[in-house]
Formats: sequence, structure tokens, C-alpha cells
Amino acid sequence: MRLVFQRISIIPVLVVLLVIVSATAGHAQEPRIQMSHLDYLAAKATETVDVNIDERLVQIAIKVFSDKDPDEAQIKKLVAGLKGIYVKSFEFDADNQFSAADVDSIRNQLREPAWSRLVNVRSKRDSNVEVYVSLSGTSVNGLVVITSEARELTVVNIVGPVDLEKLAHLEGSLGIPDLGIEITKPKTKNEDQ
Amino acid sequence: MKHVTISKLIGFGLVILLTASLVNAKGDDFGSVVKMIEQFYNVKHEGIPFLAKAGMKVVGTAAKIKGGTAKRLAEVGSIKLAVFEDQEFDGDLIKFRNSLNEALKQSWIPLVQTLSATDEEQSYIFVREQGNKFNVLVINIAQHEGTVVQATLSSKNLALLMKDPEGAGKNITNEATIIDQE
Repeated sequence: MRLVFQRISIIPVLVVLLVIVSATAGHAQEPRIQMSHLDYLAAKATETVDVNIDERLVQIAIKVFSDKDPDEAQIKKLVAGLKGIYVKSFEFDADNQFSAADVDSIRNQLREPAWSRLVNVRSKRDSNVEVYVSLSGTSVNGLVVITSEARELTVVNIVGPVDLEKLAHLEGSLGIPDLGIEITKPKTKNEDQ
Repeated sequence: MKHVTISKLIGFGLVILLTASLVNAKGDDFGSVVKMIEQFYNVKHEGIPFLAKAGMKVVGTAAKIKGGTAKRLAEVGSIKLAVFEDQEFDGDLIKFRNSLNEALKQSWIPLVQTLSATDEEQSYIFVREQGNKFNVLVINIAQHEGTVVQATLSSKNLALLMKDPEGAGKNITNEATIIDQE
């Protein structure tokens, strides 16, 4: 009987523990965003590119890229530790084929405190570029880039330890399109004067 | 007597089940994909088993004759090819893509997929590990023609494919179909 009471009293503790564990797990969730709702745009796009390099392919890439080839060695170094690279890119032959709501559907997943928007980024081309990073402690564990033009929309999601410099080196490889991202240095006081 | 017949029937059933599961485990996804395209688009493929089995030596020679510089990617004799010519590929691209991804998700990893709704063109590259080598499945569908190519790649050539999926995917398709063009 005493044992039964002991068990009953343990239940609330277990529930509280479960809630804590779930909350922690939720917070530590991998920064993979949902992009499949953009798939409907493919029906009117002149070109749709879908890149899905998941963790299995990242492991394969690490295995097959040679250390002797400078290009491959660099890609190998860049992808090491990544858990996935996902790209969705749409090109249209007319303006206004995608809506602000489409872009918002991505932005809405990139809310603080899990995500922060980088401000010192611009595009080498005439496109709007937004870069968001997901932080785990002090290190980046995910990155999302949204580039949009009148007739183009591209979303890149990299899961794992990554920075913009890494992404810039990966552009053009592994099916990642050339995003034309440029990191601008914040102006110093002297430069302003 | 009756007992023996029932045992035989059970045994026969087991053999069929075992064979079916072995075939499934081997995963002839190439055949399934070809069949799927045929059913979805109501088209018919032309298989070129003999030439494909003849191996890449023929392709190498053909490439030399044509003055081609294409790098040989597929392992000798590993190519499976199905060609669809002069057919109407009229159907919902997105629906087809979803069905294809669903059918292959168990054993293949999608690398790159490109669609053009305006030009009605689609291309898909899937990869899977096979021992110390890799299988690659390249599917190209245009308005009136299509190809399905399965080939085995060394890790070195898979690296080339991963670096430039679109270019290498085209190369693999060219390697497989150049025989047909000769």
C-alpha cells in the first residue's frame, strides 16, 4: 500500500520532468525549416531547383571527396559537421508569381530568440537578401538565406555549424545556386567622419 | 496424402514469399521507375539492354569517334537504360515528382531535382550506397522524350557528381544514350 502511494507521488514529478525534457528538446531542435509549402510555385515556374543534401549525403560527401584535390578538400572541410543543405529556388518568366505571404511563411519560422537576422549582408545583384542564423549557445547551428527578386525566389537552409563565409565558398557547388551574397563590414567612427 | 499436399503448398508459398522478398530487398527500382513513368504518362519505353550491357568500352570508342571530351563516369557494364521517344508526357509535374519521391524514399537519397513547368521538363538525380560504390539514378523527362539511367559510380566519380550534379547528371545520360545515337 505504501508502495502504491509512493508510486502515485512519483507521477507528478515524472510529468514535470517530461515537460522539462520536452521543452529542452524543443529548444534544441535542429534548425531545419519547412519549405514544402512553396512547392506549389513549381507549377508556374520556368525553373525549379530542389537540392536535398541530408545528413546521409553529407557523410557520403565527406567519404568521397578527396583530400588531394584542392576543390574537393575545401568542400569536404566546409561540409564536415553539417547535418543538411536544403535549397529551393524558383525562377519565373513574369513578375508577381510569388506573394509576400510565401516569403512570410519562411520568415515566420525564423523568429527570435531561436533565430537572429544578420543586418550586414547585401546582394551583389539587385535582389533582396535576408540572412538568419540559429544560435546554440554562442555557436551557429543553422542558417537560412532568402533571396528574392521580381522573378526569382530562393531559400537556402543549412543545418549545422555554418557561417556566411562557408556558404559563400559552397555557392556553385553541390547544387547550391550562386546567391551573390556580400558581407558588408560595419562602418567605424573614423569612416563615418 | 492430404497432409503432404498441404505441406507442399505451404512450402511453395514460402518459396514464393522468400523470392518476392529477395527481389524486393535487391530493389529493382530502375524497373519500378520505368513502369511508374509508363503508367503515369501512359507511354512506352524502348529498352536497350544488349547495348547497355555491352559496356562502356563502346561508349568510350563512340565518344572518341565523335570527338567528345565527356568524362566517363559510370562503371563498365553497370548502365541500365530506358528510353522514351516520340511520346506525349502530358501530366501533372508536381504530382509525378511527389509519386516518384514517395516510391524511392526507402532506398534512394534525392540529390537534385529540377523542374520547368513552362518547358515541361523534369530531371531527377537519386543516389544510394552499394558496398564501396554508389548507384545513381538519373531521370530526365521532356515533352516528347525521356530517359531513365541507372549506373554504378566509384566514389571518385560520385564526388564529381556531387560537385556538379547538373553537369555530371547530363554526362551520365549522354554516356548511356550515345550508343543509341551512333
